[in-house]
Amino acid sequence: MNNPTHRFDQINESDREKASNSYLMSVIFITFALPLPIVNLIATFVFGVANRRSSNFVKWHCTQALLSQFSLFVINSVAFAWTVLLLFHVFTISNGFIGYVLTIIAFNIWEFLATVIAAIQTRKGVHYRWFFYGDLTDALQKPTP
Amino acid sequence: MKKIGIKGLLLVALFLGVWFGFSQINWMKAFRVEQVGSKVSKELGDLYWKYFKGQDEEVCDSTVVQHVDSLLNRICTANGIDTATIKLHILSDSAINAFSLPDGHLVIYTGLLNVTRSDAQLCGVLCHEIAHLEKGHAMKKLIKEIGLASLLSNATGGNGDFMIKSIRTLTSTAYDRNLERKADAQAVQYMTKAGIDPDGLAQLLEQLDQLQASGIQIPTWISTHPDNAERIGAIRTLAKKRT
Repeated sequence: MNNPTHRFDQINESDREKASNSYLMSVIFITFALPLPIVNLIATFVFGVANRRSSNFVKWHCTQALLSQFSLFVINSVAFAWTVLLLFHVFTISNGFIGYVLTIIAFNIWEFLATVIAAIQTRKGVHYRWFFYGDLTDALQKPTP
Repeated sequence: MKKIGIKGLLLVALFLGVWFGFSQINWMKAFRVEQVGSKVSKELGDLYWKYFKGQDEEVCDSTVVQHVDSLLNRICTANGIDTATIKLHILSDSAINAFSLPDGHLVIYTGLLNVTRSDAQLCGVLCHEIAHLEKGHAMKKLIKEIGLASLLSNATGGNGDFMIKSIRTLTSTAYDRNLERKADAQAVQYMTKAGIDPDGLAQLLEQLDQLQASGIQIPTWISTHPDNAERIGAIRTLAKKRT
């Protein structure tokens, strides 16, 4: 997961704190987000917008956190919609549904742990990159001079 | 960009693989989902039947019971339905009504028996209610109207409010239009397979419609069901397709 190829100059204490907080946002808000899968995504987005004038390091990590939250939002929303349709008897409960719920629980736990590790590492000033999301962030977040 | 695409696809493949793996396990059996459902259904069915039995006298006239029972057997045998799963009850009541309760209880009032003019019409009623039973519509309706939590907590003996609300749901309120259409379509299929003219169901609906229009009596079985003319049309279209 950690592949520190992307380098930033002059990462100060404030940058480390902000970058770390971008991950913490999603961790904190996931507590409120459990019934509604969009709350942690909004929290991460708002934090990213608030820090749009910050350093490249902060913006890069805000973007990586936002992209990972977006993936979770998609898979969690499917589970949410499927459950609602079950309650209205459009579908019946099946092994496929239970399998899906267990899968998203596993991915949410994985994401949660990865986010906590990312928050700790960025607080230390380490440029922590995730598989796929790191590359995607490189493509989307061009460094400003 | 190609590298990102490959990594993205790998993540999607991992997700689908984990989902597929989890789906191969029989969670329904492990969590006893069906067993719990059938137990609640049985307890509720017994509870409601006890209530209806206390309200009206059950018809024991062997001629009437045997006749309806023979029609029920004919329908079930032709459609591969286990007759032991259906508990037929005929109650002496002038109301024109028939309904299905959880756990396979099929209740018909003598009021409805008296207005049927042929075996085909009676079979129409039976097939429609068997369809509700086979598709579990009674439980679905109760869960939707009463709520699963209330059903589970009252399954072993309901309080007054719960009983009034759920009995009203089962007997007086129509199933939603979608469930009614499904039950009608299934009834046509049952009748055709059993060699009974499916137009009997349409004829009965027309007859009950006329009774209602003349103001002689309000037939509950029809008045609680939506869009009668549309239903009759749909039944006849399906019957034509099947024959």
